[in-house]
Amino acid sequence: MRKLAEWQLALPLALAFASIFLAPLLMLVGVSFFNDDKISQPGFGQWAKFLGDPFSYKVIADTMLLGLKTVCATIVIGYPLALIYLDASPRLQKVLIFIIVMPLLLSVVVRTFAWIVVLGREGVVNTLLMQLGIISEPLRLLQTELGLVISLTQIEMPLMLLPLISVMSRLDPNLRDASSALGASRWRTLFKVIVPLSMPGLVAGCLLVFASSTTAFISQTVIGGVRLIYLPLLIWQQSLVVFNWPFAAVVSLTLLVSVLTVVSALSYLGRRSGGYVHG
Amino acid sequence: MFSRRRLLAGATALGGAAFLPSIAHAKGSVAAAIYPGTWEEAFRAIVAPALKKKDSVDLELQPLFAVDQVAKAKAARGAPPFDAFVLDPGPRITAIQDGLFDKIDMKKITNASKLPAGLVDEWGVGVNAQVVGIAYNPKKVPAPKGWKDLFVEPWVSRLGLTGFQTTFGTVSLIEIAKVFGGSETNIEPALVELKKVLPKIAAVGQPAAMPSLFQQGQCDVMYTNTQTVATLKGRGVDIEFVKPETGAITFLTTLHIAKGAADVENAYKYIDIVAGKDVQEALTKPPYNFIPVNKDVPVPSYLPMKSLDEMSSFVRHDWAKINPLRAGWIEKFNKEMAK
Repeated sequence: MRKLAEWQLALPLALAFASIFLAPLLMLVGVSFFNDDKISQPGFGQWAKFLGDPFSYKVIADTMLLGLKTVCATIVIGYPLALIYLDASPRLQKVLIFIIVMPLLLSVVVRTFAWIVVLGREGVVNTLLMQLGIISEPLRLLQTELGLVISLTQIEMPLMLLPLISVMSRLDPNLRDASSALGASRWRTLFKVIVPLSMPGLVAGCLLVFASSTTAFISQTVIGGVRLIYLPLLIWQQSLVVFNWPFAAVVSLTLLVSVLTVVSALSYLGRRSGGYVHG
Repeated sequence: MFSRRRLLAGATALGGAAFLPSIAHAKGSVAAAIYPGTWEEAFRAIVAPALKKKDSVDLELQPLFAVDQVAKAKAARGAPPFDAFVLDPGPRITAIQDGLFDKIDMKKITNASKLPAGLVDEWGVGVNAQVVGIAYNPKKVPAPKGWKDLFVEPWVSRLGLTGFQTTFGTVSLIEIAKVFGGSETNIEPALVELKKVLPKIAAVGQPAAMPSLFQQGQCDVMYTNTQTVATLKGRGVDIEFVKPETGAITFLTTLHIAKGAADVENAYKYIDIVAGKDVQEALTKPPYNFIPVNKDVPVPSYLPMKSLDEMSSFVRHDWAKINPLRAGWIEKFNKEMAK
């Protein structure tokens, strides 16, 4: 019997991928080139309407910025956590992994509503700050971008930590010892050895957090409210409230393209800095 | 909304129905779309057992918001994923225009004579009324008298509002527009007034998040329906309902048979049992707090009216006029309210 070529083994998956992902995606592209919500007159009307409106660019920019801010916050908090994990005893590592993965076991809806209780006017944060006498009037945390970034940071944290930890735990501990034996300070070791070597994990984490937070419709609308407008809210309004599917398709494709652009830029940067370590 | 002729035709058909032999029992199941949350819980607990007991029909509920039902049925193109819709007036008109319903054979709704005039028409059967007004927290703010009060202190800085995505949000904003000189088709004055007080407003939220925001004290005044007020009250939240001085708003929730439904006869049985006295009465009880439409069911005491007839004086809206304008309103609301 002839040996199966590798590509033949991938065929079932490729067929499934083509039928359940690629075909609908092409249909989405097709639908976006219709002028009316009955999908009967082909044309570029919806694209012209979306791209000709300055408000659209504000929404795109806000959505991308939200993703970048969440990525930065998850790095600032997640990276030290990953370092702690690296130095922890195997037993503590198990506990840490459990804590990191636990949020993934909860529905995102539950986590999101829990944040209403935490950030609300009479929520945990405000009550604590008022009892400590730090503030006299409750802070407005819900329905602000700050509140949204805080909650998204917690919600998306596992997506940053899991790839980061899996890459970092494969680092050769001898490299760190060698670095300090050669006289490098701990900070120098961190920035010259650990960070560059953990770059693949960091980049993977950034990609996941970015893609997930820019499309987190539930968290964005429930915690951010409807005055903070991001692309997923527009898609929902157009497809499910107004039934203008061509326009919804235009917004969906815009979201897809903008997320892919940032994600490719991130992975390009990641590859370049990955090369630095060997260069 | 319903012409006299249509009503007469309906009444004649109903009269005739009384002489028809009862339809033979058909077993099997019916798939019905239902609003998620209270509706789904209530229908699972009350309607499903009742239908099983009376007609030996299994009720399969598919939790979907009104707009999602219409979207799914449209996408399915003639092979709907469920046999019966449950809709608010706006989506109902969209569905009629898109030809998603089978016409109702009024003879098959034996409980139709127990429903007030106008609730059964060729497209569906009204099984529940919603009454929308202002809810407030009596421990935090005094009772507002009407829509205008929402724009002044002490209410404005405690106000939570939603946009045009939902039926109750849309009709409330229309009523606000009216007190500032607008109309059913001109909501501009509402947006102008909102814009003036926007920095003071406590929350502009997603409709589904409003009860939680109220419960957590993020806002202490909002527009909502009596059912939400009763449900929150049942959970121990300090909340009271006010009928605005310009009148409470009412609209019907209607059941419809999907065109191309797999089991039309069972869909009729389902609709009929929901309109019946026993189910209607059970649905008015806590924690479900529905507003009944069957004339044999007493009106619960917490409602802002003593009888169903009183509701004829409540404010109603013409969704055939509202629907074509709504997309524009949503877009405008986004732009005016965006931070």
